Amino acid sequence: MKRRKTWIALGLLAVLAIGFAAMAQEPVTIEFWHAMSSRHQENLQVLLDKFAEEYPNITVNAVYQGAYGDLQGKIQAAVVAGNLPTIAQVYENWITSITTLLFPIGDYMSSMEQADIIDGLVPSNTFNGVLTTAPFNKSIMVLYYNKTLIPDPPATWDEFLQIAKDTTADLDGDGVIDRYGAGFRPAANPELFLNLLEQAGGSILNDDWTEVTIDNAAGQAAMEYVEELTPYSYVTGEYMSDHFPQNVAMFVDTSAGYYYNNQAAINGGAEMGVARVPKGPVNQKSMIQGTNLAIFNSGNQTLAQQEAAVLLAKFLIRADNTVFWAIRSGYQPVTKSAYQAQEWLDYVAANPYQVAMSEQMLDGFSQILQPNYGDMRNVIATGFEEVMLEAATASEALTEIADELEMLLE
Amino acid sequence: MLYILLLAGCAIMLFPFFWMITTSFKTELEAMRFPPQWIPTSWHWENYPLAWSTAPFGRYFFNSFFIAIVSTIGEVFTTILAAYAFAKMRFFGKNVLFALLLGTLMIPGEMLLIPNYVTIYRLHWFDRYEALIIPWLVSVFGIFLLRQFFRSLPDELWDSARIDGCRRFRYLWQVVVPLSKPAILTVALFKFLGSWNAFQWVLMMTNSERMRTVPVGLTNFSTEIGTAYGQLMAASVLAITPVLILFFFTQKQFIQGVARTGIK
Repeated sequence: MKRRKTWIALGLLAVLAIGFAAMAQEPVTIEFWHAMSSRHQENLQVLLDKFAEEYPNITVNAVYQGAYGDLQGKIQAAVVAGNLPTIAQVYENWITSITTLLFPIGDYMSSMEQADIIDGLVPSNTFNGVLTTAPFNKSIMVLYYNKTLIPDPPATWDEFLQIAKDTTADLDGDGVIDRYGAGFRPAANPELFLNLLEQAGGSILNDDWTEVTIDNAAGQAAMEYVEELTPYSYVTGEYMSDHFPQNVAMFVDTSAGYYYNNQAAINGGAEMGVARVPKGPVNQKSMIQGTNLAIFNSGNQTLAQQEAAVLLAKFLIRADNTVFWAIRSGYQPVTKSAYQAQEWLDYVAANPYQVAMSEQMLDGFSQILQPNYGDMRNVIATGFEEVMLEAATASEALTEIADELEMLLE
Repeated sequence: MLYILLLAGCAIMLFPFFWMITTSFKTELEAMRFPPQWIPTSWHWENYPLAWSTAPFGRYFFNSFFIAIVSTIGEVFTTILAAYAFAKMRFFGKNVLFALLLGTLMIPGEMLLIPNYVTIYRLHWFDRYEALIIPWLVSVFGIFLLRQFFRSLPDELWDSARIDGCRRFRYLWQVVVPLSKPAILTVALFKFLGSWNAFQWVLMMTNSERMRTVPVGLTNFSTEIGTAYGQLMAASVLAITPVLILFFFTQKQFIQGVARTGIK
């Protein structure tokens, strides 16, 4: 009798398994909203074609939605209209207020797959303790410098300041500085300050986001350092490649900008070097930037579509694919195993500037997931710019920033 | 002296066109050179076929033409009717209605984007020509512009037409419209340009390649870290050519219309 029951149970399980297998093979179409244009779009399409070969039952309808700002606007509108896609590229702060509409990708990934994601990327993809989104096109901030002018890049804050001083020059003797040692885009890129804050051991908020900590001793050290750099810094809102190497000797910028920065160096008759960012009083971390993949759960997606989207996300971060994407796009691989892949090692060997980028990527940090981060970033950008333009002292700007952040926290 | 000033103004206006055309033949390296390389060292015609093949530009051009032509015809029609009513007819609440209409010009378009998106979606017009054409068949600016022009027409014309037994509708199309050709052409040209250059709306209200237009196609050449200037400028040359041709043929009326309606 017992044996018979066991056989019946096994039979039922077999029927279920066959049923699931059949379901898995059922055709499913998913919509993937992205902001990848130009070469990035072509390379993404190569990966999607490869995905289609591996999963012939899944059709990915990739929809280019313009630049990041356009994509963000469309996602916001789609939240209200209720027509979110199955999967989309998102920045962390686009989704902090709609976490209930996200499908937790981590529940469908093994612990090994999750552990493979670079440590610095895990916090920014984890909501309520669950890996909810998957990292996709990620870049890291590194130091670019005029190698013709600076044979050895600065390794510490002090060295960076000294070299900035030494390379700031009035080249034609008209009393106006033509070349600055450093270049900053404070309004467009407040991450440059957040790097310094992190390197000084500081943070915008405490761990549970109940208190503003940006104006503590570490924050003061970071902002005072900015103040010290100001006389030797070229401040602009434009791409640094528009001013390198003629107006700027070194600057921190995203690794994804290598191609354009290098073109600028070639045009200016200089050789460009890439190094890790200078080490601060506490560490040598820099910020990881770029988007993640979010799968939506807003009622207009079926479970089959969401599971297919999980397969796509896992496919895109698989070592061979994240390496392919990194080599073709200039972004960085997002998993640890990818950095050990032979193809990547060969690529790094052939492109030595990638050594610094890879090392920096494995020692990066991400933005916080506080829902008001976008506004906080703007506040920090304003204060940072005021100091760089000598419109405020470090302590004035920090007090102002802290006050405004307090308000945003309330 | 006047001619020197005019020439200087002309040079300033033409300069971006010059840069666009020469850059469309440059390599990426040359396009980014500083100080700028005004004339390419070698002429890279391949930027044009490369740009054309980057995206389905044939479809984009068809859509741009179709949407611009249909919405221009539609808008001119509704604008003539509304502008005439506001300029020459008497009805209850005319001034309040006109003020309300003008008031809509003060609302920033960005603010309306999400509500409009939801409306279009609920109407099941999303990713269809309806979304790209129907909301743009009425233009407050066009109504204002034509109303100003219609107001300058003497009322005696209507009186004599009425004596001859002409009704409003016939008077509008047989007398007012022929007399207002420059102003109507101006409205049409503004509309065509606006429709041809529309970007944000098209991007928001469509998902599929088959519904997109030339300006959306142009974004294919830029990423957040840089731009393929040679190809972008080649595509831009192709994109503005129809508009330039249209302007060359209608510039007399366009300038007359702008001058007569007092819009500068």
